[in-house]
Amino acid sequence: MIVGLGNPIMGDDGVGIHVLRQLKQRTPPRTDLEYKQLSVGGLKLVEEILGYRTVFIIDSIESEETIGRIREFSPEQFNNTYHESGPHAVNFITALELYKKLEPTRIPERIRIFTIDIKNEFEFKETLTPPIQKAASHLAEMLANEINRTHGQDC
Amino acid sequence: MKTVTINPITRLEGHGKISIFLNDQGNVDNAYFQVPELRGFEKFCEGRAVEEMPDITSRICGVCPEAHHIASTKALDAVFHVEAPPAAKKLRELLYSAFFVADHITHFYILGGPDFVVGPKAPKSERNILGVIAKVGMDVGTSVIQHRSDALQVIATIGGKRIHPSCGVPGGVSKTITEEERTKIETIARSEVEFAQYTLKLFDEVVLKNQEYAGLIKSDVYSSKTYYMGTVDDQNRVNFYDGKIRVVDPEGREFAKFQASDYQQHISEHVEPWTYLKFPYLTKIGWRGLVGGKDSGIYKATPLARLNVAEGMATPSAETEYKRMFEMLGGKPVHSTLATHWARLIELLYASERMLELSKDPDITNTNVRNIPTHTPDEGVGAVEAPRGTLIHHYKTDPAGLVRAVNLIVATTNNHAAISMSIKRAAEGVIKNGEVSDGILNMVEMAFRAYDPCYACATHTLPGQMPLEVKIYSKDGAVLRNIRRP
Repeated sequence: MIVGLGNPIMGDDGVGIHVLRQLKQRTPPRTDLEYKQLSVGGLKLVEEILGYRTVFIIDSIESEETIGRIREFSPEQFNNTYHESGPHAVNFITALELYKKLEPTRIPERIRIFTIDIKNEFEFKETLTPPIQKAASHLAEMLANEINRTHGQDC
Repeated sequence: MKTVTINPITRLEGHGKISIFLNDQGNVDNAYFQVPELRGFEKFCEGRAVEEMPDITSRICGVCPEAHHIASTKALDAVFHVEAPPAAKKLRELLYSAFFVADHITHFYILGGPDFVVGPKAPKSERNILGVIAKVGMDVGTSVIQHRSDALQVIATIGGKRIHPSCGVPGGVSKTITEEERTKIETIARSEVEFAQYTLKLFDEVVLKNQEYAGLIKSDVYSSKTYYMGTVDDQNRVNFYDGKIRVVDPEGREFAKFQASDYQQHISEHVEPWTYLKFPYLTKIGWRGLVGGKDSGIYKATPLARLNVAEGMATPSAETEYKRMFEMLGGKPVHSTLATHWARLIELLYASERMLELSKDPDITNTNVRNIPTHTPDEGVGAVEAPRGTLIHHYKTDPAGLVRAVNLIVATTNNHAAISMSIKRAAEGVIKNGEVSDGILNMVEMAFRAYDPCYACATHTLPGQMPLEVKIYSKDGAVLRNIRRP
């Protein structure tokens, strides 16, 4: 499953969803591939990916220094945050750890997290800024190439 | 003057931070809670078709979209001067009750409850749902997740999807439920009632019978006297979906009771230069600063506020628990911030019982769920009780139904002043003579976590942490100490 994560009405924050939309246009339909556009985190995000073998999550990360930078992470790289949660939500890593204990057989075998650095202005709009639009297109092309190349295989 | 700042840095939390100012003796002089305002939202919605608002506003927050969706739908009813058929209102309320169940379960077991179940002084790495499971067992953890998931399934059944349900339309809802779906919801509701009762027993065993925790609940450190606000039905019982907004004073006497559409006559907003977010207050009392008491217009809108405001609960088991809480805490109103957790569990029981009542109502499968609007749209207000307080949506449109103006009073906004006051009280209790221990983070966080503040505008959790930073500045502005969560 490919998850495009973000808030579609908060500008660059929604870049994950923009990448997903472009990716869907660049890849032929497949029975072993599903796309989901989500605006959630923590528990709800983990609940959406349970039962899938491989999951790509595409999201933005706030960083004023390297706007437009594309990176790949594994969940383990966020392990030092697993006990950290806001007052209103549990973070993804804590939720993942929880479900590893409660439903270990449904946790995806592999989770790959792709991010684009943004400067989040907390402004409501539906479009991306030019550098993020460019990064989104680049990431969509990169992932489309990989998905099309690995049809029927694990990514 | 020394400054202690707790500054969340994550994208999820935006620019929210807690600032604590110490005086020259090293004791707390003042504390402030700063949150991001929803800047630009009103501008963004100008020119949109007003029917889009339930789906747009549900994306203001990725954690509680249902509250915005339903408040917005009710605002559309008002904008189009149309009343939904009874079955539609019941379906909306059934969805909304399921939302409350899911949300309150999440808050107690995963967000606020770990403070008590695991302990306020437990290591940070244990003070979360994983620590709760380690303490109460895997079966309980599985049950928490199962009951939460079941409630979300009810939302999906009625609202079309479990995440960002989309069923609200002016004059009703967009889909009905079948008898088969109704039966499943009834089964789920029965289980939710049992789970809510179990949770209250757990709270009793783990919190109320623990002298240290019970003492915390009753302590002055976590107490502040304010006015209280909540929505009640025609018998002054708590109602999450509809009713009149009622306000009681710090002694529990009714101060005001009004229709949501009249909110601007009762609520004004005060501006401070150091925060983006305004401070709502009761207009007739006035703004006196961040102080409590009868002469200050500050009010709280929380689960505890709702129970303080009401004269009872509308379902039998919740009513029994309501009476028990106030008997044990010495009568109404209760001013202890940490009692909000208890109130939240009573509301969990009420929401579960209400789910069961509505699921058994023969009208719930009625196919007449929409009255088509015929009036020209103009202006309307919709209000609900969000899990964390009264939520108001106010729209103005042109005759074609395009939005001209939007005003929201979000639940946490109501509590902005009260949260600041609670943080100050907690900080006063733990910071003495300039000594700031690592325990300050959790003791202060406990004060504001009880409000379940919702100021998430974005919806991600990567990296998703809320690293907290406490900075202590000397009188001259130099950093004396910097405490960070790892």
